[in-house]
Amino acid sequence: MKKTPPILVLLAFLVVALPLGWGLYRSVKNSMPLFTAGAAPAAAPAAPAK
Amino acid sequence: MPSFLDRERTVAAPGFSRWLVPPAAIAVQMCVGEIYGFSVFNIPLTRAVGITKSVPGQDWSVPHVVLATYSLGLVILGLSAAIFGKWVERVGPRRTMFTSSCCFCGGLFVASLGVHIHNLAVVALGYGVIGGIGLGLGYIAPVSTLVKWFPDRPGMATGLAIMGFGSGALVGAPFGVELMNHFKTAASVGVEETFLVMAACYFVMINFGAWIVRVPAPGWKPEGFVAPTRAGRLITTAQVAADEAIKTPQFYLLWGVLCCNVTAGIGILAQASPMCQDMFGVTPVVAGGFVGLLSICNTLGRFLWSSASDFTGRKAIYVVYFLLGCALYCMIPFSQRVGSVALFVAVTCVIISMYGAGFATIPAYLRDLFGTVQVGAIHGRIITAWSMAAILGPQLVTYLSSYQKAHGVPKGEAYNTTVYIMAGILLVGLACNLLVRPVDPRHHLREA
Repeated sequence: MKKTPPILVLLAFLVVALPLGWGLYRSVKNSMPLFTAGAAPAAAPAAPAK
Repeated sequence: MPSFLDRERTVAAPGFSRWLVPPAAIAVQMCVGEIYGFSVFNIPLTRAVGITKSVPGQDWSVPHVVLATYSLGLVILGLSAAIFGKWVERVGPRRTMFTSSCCFCGGLFVASLGVHIHNLAVVALGYGVIGGIGLGLGYIAPVSTLVKWFPDRPGMATGLAIMGFGSGALVGAPFGVELMNHFKTAASVGVEETFLVMAACYFVMINFGAWIVRVPAPGWKPEGFVAPTRAGRLITTAQVAADEAIKTPQFYLLWGVLCCNVTAGIGILAQASPMCQDMFGVTPVVAGGFVGLLSICNTLGRFLWSSASDFTGRKAIYVVYFLLGCALYCMIPFSQRVGSVALFVAVTCVIISMYGAGFATIPAYLRDLFGTVQVGAIHGRIITAWSMAAILGPQLVTYLSSYQKAHGVPKGEAYNTTVYIMAGILLVGLACNLLVRPVDPRHHLREA
């Protein structure tokens, strides 16, 4: 019985993890303004609360 | 067609590691999931003639572009998954993935031609129809294969695959933007060249998945795995054929579960940016960051919640999705009243994580109720609920918020009615879920 070498499994995961990691990095980078602007006055409600 | 694609050639030899199948599934789903990131092409496509700005009467409008690509693609996805589900089970995952790559990438090629000759009907035919068929095939083939490989952890397996689809936007959107920036000139927005490059890259990636995918040999089970047989649990050891499954109330209840879960989530997802701006007055850049964060939650939720369902059971986890979702929706107006962006972001992130999870958990739920023999075909048919929700959800949010604004409701409060309606939709989904019982044995396959 020929077993699948673990390195092959690792390589297969790497093929998909590389673009995924890049996409995740880009999304985290893009979402940064949300956190940096969080404390700014821009975060006030657009309309007065009733 | 070469025999390399035949199902018989994909039966795994003894010693094959089943962990090679998740990357195959993710590779395919990540590519076809690009449709989630298609919105990056909306504005450039409306400036194909004017380049720097849209030329009225000559350039396309955003609603027309969205209808011809995103909406049509999702509708055809559901229909093709339903129509070709049994074919997918018969020919196996490799031929299906190859066909998916031909349709999806061929569709991008035709769409590129449509942009070149500036004909929206050709773009719709390419991306919406031909590409949509590729989407449907690429969506269901890896899922049913993984369910068969991981009978001990079906929630985790389907979560992994469908997480790949959710990640399509994370990869596809920035990839598309980078390519457009590279190809744009004074005379072109760069979309047609971008479509061609994407088609080539996706063709290679999907066929990488097709190359490494395998199906388990008949009777294969993971080492030490014993199928649960405890009476009263919603996990069957019997098998139900796809044609028989649609005669059961369980199929329609799960259809309702998926439709309600997706309608509620997709409404928020489609309107996330304007909602955030209207409710809290944040800038478009910050709202863009919020949308990016939602994409991450949508992706991670698919894997995490679906994996958790292996421990809680599928019915219980859907009760959590619906009850918690309903409570969180009701908190959105409160977050606006107290002016807390942080609370709004936290609440919507959890809602969207459960929206993604609804997709990821449904194949495992189907497998629990109907067995594995035709789970792909049954899954394909239930995906029509998604097509319905893809039309319902965004329309509901857009129409209701516009109506409220038109009737003098302050912008920040224009979404309140909508979110309460979404909470109500989740309660309908909860009722459907609570009505699910084991399938009547008269529907079981005799040889099972």
